[in-house]
Amino acid sequence: MTGDHLYVYGIVEDEELELDVEGVGGAERIYTVTTGGLSAVVSDIDTTDPERTTEAMEAHDGVLKAVLEDRTVVPMSFGMAFKDERTLRNVLGGGKRAFRKALDEVEGTVELGVKLVGDADADLRRDPVREEARDRLEPIAVDVVGNDLFSDRLLVNDSYLVDRDDRVAFDEAVGALEQDLDGVVVQYTGPFAPYNFVDIHIGAEQ
Amino acid sequence: MLVIDDLLVRPFVSLLDILQTMALEELYDVDRIRDDLKETQLLYEIGELDEEEYRRRRTDLEEQLELAEQVREDLTSGKIEVKN
Repeated sequence: MTGDHLYVYGIVEDEELELDVEGVGGAERIYTVTTGGLSAVVSDIDTTDPERTTEAMEAHDGVLKAVLEDRTVVPMSFGMAFKDERTLRNVLGGGKRAFRKALDEVEGTVELGVKLVGDADADLRRDPVREEARDRLEPIAVDVVGNDLFSDRLLVNDSYLVDRDDRVAFDEAVGALEQDLDGVVVQYTGPFAPYNFVDIHIGAEQ
Repeated sequence: MLVIDDLLVRPFVSLLDILQTMALEELYDVDRIRDDLKETQLLYEIGELDEEEYRRRRTDLEEQLELAEQVREDLTSGKIEVKN
C-alpha cells in the first residue's frame, strides 16, 4: 500500500537508508527524510491516523528492530503520521534540539527487558528479588526504569539501557541471575529501541 | 437495559446492593482485563500455557474487554440509566 502521507518510526543520525522490511499499512519501502543532520525513518501511508491494530504495532516494532541493528534510533511511539514531507521537515526542524539531545543520550545503547516471574506455587516477596536483580544488573547498565507490575506473578518488570559494548557482560549477568534465583523464571527480551529512555512528544500530527 | 443502583443517594444500602455493584465493577474493569491479557501473554511466552489454552483465554478476555469498553462508553454517554 502507498499513500501521500508519511508514517514516522524514529529518528537517526543523518543517513540515507533503505530497508527491506514491511512497514505500517503494508508499506514496502522504508526510507529516510533528512533535515539539519537528523534523518526520520519513514514509509508512505494513506492516512494520518493509522489504526492501532496488533499487526500495525508489530510492523512499527519490526521496522525499529531492523533499524537498530546497525545504528542508534530515537523511537517514536506508534501512530505518528504526517500530511506530507514538508510538514515532517518542519517538525524535524522545530524539534531539532530535543531530537538531538535524545539521540545523544541514547547513542550507542540498546534497551533490554528483564521480567522475573515467580513460579505459581512459589511464595516470593517482590522487594528482595528486585533488589537482587538491580544489584547485579544496574552496575553494567547506563540506566534502568521499573515498568508496570501487571500480574501478581510478576516480581520484576525492568527495562535497562545498556551500551552495545556491554551486551555480552549484561547477557551473562542475566544468565547468572536466573541460575541463582530459585522459583523464578527470567524473561529476557530485546534488544529494543530505547522507548523507555526517551521522552519526545510531537504535538501537531499534521 | 442495564440498571445500576446508585449507592450514594440511598440512605440504606443492603449487602446485596454492594455485592451487585462490586460484581459490576469487577466485570467491567477495563484496566483489570487489560492486565489479565498481559499476564496471559506472559505466561504463554514463558511456556506455562500451551497455545490452545493461551488462545482460548485470550479470545475470552478480548470479548470481555470489548464488552467492558462498550459498557463504560454507554455509561458516560448516558445510554445506561442509573436508577435509585
